[in-house]
Amino acid sequence: MTEHDAVDIDALVAEVKERVRRRRASGAYGAEVDALLRTPLPGGGPLHADRLNDPIGALEDVLGTEYYYDPRSRRRWLGPVITIARRGLMWLLRWWIVGMQERQERVNELTLQALRDLSERPSPRFGERLGELERKWRRHTEDEVATTMRLRPFAERFSGDPATIRAQAVPFVPLFKGRRRVLDLGSGRGTFLLLMRDEGIGAYGIDRDRDLVEDSVSQGLEAVCADAEEHLRSLPDRGLDGLFSAHVAEHLEPGTLIEIIRQARRVLRPGSPIVMATPNPRTLTVGAHTFWLDPSHRKPIPPDLFQFYLESEGFVDIRVTTYAESGQRLSEDVPDPTVRRNVHLLNETLFGDRDYAVIGHAPA
Amino acid sequence: MTAIHQFHPTLAPGDAISNHVLALAARAREWGHESHAYAVDVKPGVATEVLPYRRLFRAVKPEDLLVLHFSMGHEVFDQLVKLEARKVLVYHNITPPRYFVGINPHASAHAQMGLRQLQAIAPRIDLAIGVSEFNRTDLERAGYRNTARVPILIDWKMYDVAPDPEVLRHWETRPTLLLFVGRISPHKRQDELIRLLGYYRRCIDPEAELVLVGNHRDQPQYYERLTALAAQLGLADAVTFTGSVSTAELVAFYQIGSCFISLSEHEGFAVPLLEAMRFGRPIVAVDAAAVGETLGGAGLLLPQRDVAEAAEASSLLLERADLREAYQTKATARLRDFDTEVIARQTREALAL
Repeated sequence: MTEHDAVDIDALVAEVKERVRRRRASGAYGAEVDALLRTPLPGGGPLHADRLNDPIGALEDVLGTEYYYDPRSRRRWLGPVITIARRGLMWLLRWWIVGMQERQERVNELTLQALRDLSERPSPRFGERLGELERKWRRHTEDEVATTMRLRPFAERFSGDPATIRAQAVPFVPLFKGRRRVLDLGSGRGTFLLLMRDEGIGAYGIDRDRDLVEDSVSQGLEAVCADAEEHLRSLPDRGLDGLFSAHVAEHLEPGTLIEIIRQARRVLRPGSPIVMATPNPRTLTVGAHTFWLDPSHRKPIPPDLFQFYLESEGFVDIRVTTYAESGQRLSEDVPDPTVRRNVHLLNETLFGDRDYAVIGHAPA
Repeated sequence: MTAIHQFHPTLAPGDAISNHVLALAARAREWGHESHAYAVDVKPGVATEVLPYRRLFRAVKPEDLLVLHFSMGHEVFDQLVKLEARKVLVYHNITPPRYFVGINPHASAHAQMGLRQLQAIAPRIDLAIGVSEFNRTDLERAGYRNTARVPILIDWKMYDVAPDPEVLRHWETRPTLLLFVGRISPHKRQDELIRLLGYYRRCIDPEAELVLVGNHRDQPQYYERLTALAAQLGLADAVTFTGSVSTAELVAFYQIGSCFISLSEHEGFAVPLLEAMRFGRPIVAVDAAAVGETLGGAGLLLPQRDVAEAAEASSLLLERADLREAYQTKATARLRDFDTEVIARQTREALAL
């Protein structure tokens, strides 16, 4: 260590700050000392150099003060003459001075007002520009999922028929047997809720589509119009004993999906099942084609990734099951075993099951 | 041989600029030059060594060197820069007008005029010397092309006087004595030093006192408000304003002061920091303008003005002998940079004499 480094200034400054902190903690440096340190200099306003820290406040004070000039000279002999001369000049120039003063006062007043306006409105046309940005952002988020699309003809053309959908959900029913409070996240037309009712399982649904929710309610089902994440957040810990959600995940941003899984882990009682179904992008005709038939789909979720989401949020006994066979397949009825294997592989890749569900359980 | 003429509007005994001017004049004579100091306002005590400024207009010859010391505006500068001679400006800095606004309109207007004049005379100056790097940078900003940094010439021998016995007797038995040396002026923030004493007495040592050594003639309004502040905080008996002091009195105050504290916001050089080092006083200073530069690590430099922290810092130094010793070692080394001979040589080189 050189002589120059003999004092560690950073350590000293830190020690000084620590001493001040200890004085505060001990109560010695309390409100009274604070007031002492803030005592203004008596006999006039604060020092101008300090006022520069609050220029608008200071300007208001300064504009409110009167300026007085004392024309009296203190010189012994010449003094009275100088005083008379000054007074005379002031009298002669008074209309000029008054005119200037009046104009300056107007300028000051306007400047102060303009500064006040500016300080409250940090940037010119700020509100207008912010409004424009908000409008563009809203438009972007709507366009991304085609909210302008005519939904009824779309649903008529592309939605699956209720009977098929119900049949696809049936294999999951045993998982929910004996449960009392199962949530169907994205209950849509109420197909799963009806199935649950028929099986005597207590369930309710939420959906963002008000019309669909009303349809469900009119069928005697329990359904509410709500946002999935918000609804889960509003539930108490361990408030549910099962969660089903088919074809919702692909409509969400990945971050939102993870948050929903996290909240689900919180609200599900130990051992409760969670089932989340989505299109299966491992089947190429799905990932490359049918997935994109819905413009409100965000991005396909590979089964391995979905499984990882559940694992990393603490769910156990996780498995993936595929369902909904593709309508067409290449014929595997060929004599050559090698060709047959190849065709089978091609069928699995191109025409495998169209959907999959990832199934997990809240740990006991 | 080149004659060296120096000018500063005011020359008075005891102030740093006058000391510098007179020390340089003495040196120049040692180097074999004819050398005189001139002023408009000559205060009693220096009269025999200083000539009235009007003599300059007759005395200066084209081969001479005219050294203009600038710390305030004055109409005489406008005339002097027209003289035919090599002209060197030594800049001691002008206190920014904002410190006087609303408290001393006269000083504020004067400072404003000074800053304007500094720019206006730049084209007529051959070399501009800043007494600190801070000042030299200011000169560049004011439009000076040829600049140099040469510190103030301090004649250290002048401090080799016996301390004033009256001061010693009066203060010797006193407890912690916080000391600041510098004329009473808003930019030196003596008001904050008074508040600091308030903190010190409440939180650290109820017996502590503050001595403010410095002339208050130029800032009567601020001085009056300072005394009112001390009274309001119940510190009237604990704060001493010495007014102008003799060298012997100054030496005595440096000897009895426990710690030198500077909360000043503007210093072009700050000679008292070096004086405090010369007398082995521990130093706490808030970094501002040229303070850090002059201190050169030989005192506890606080990065920002926080009164409570400055008080705790001085108490820390007073508690810790090892720290005081470390700083004193640094101070001894730092003072070598401002040794009279070293600076005289630098000055001579800069002035090309």
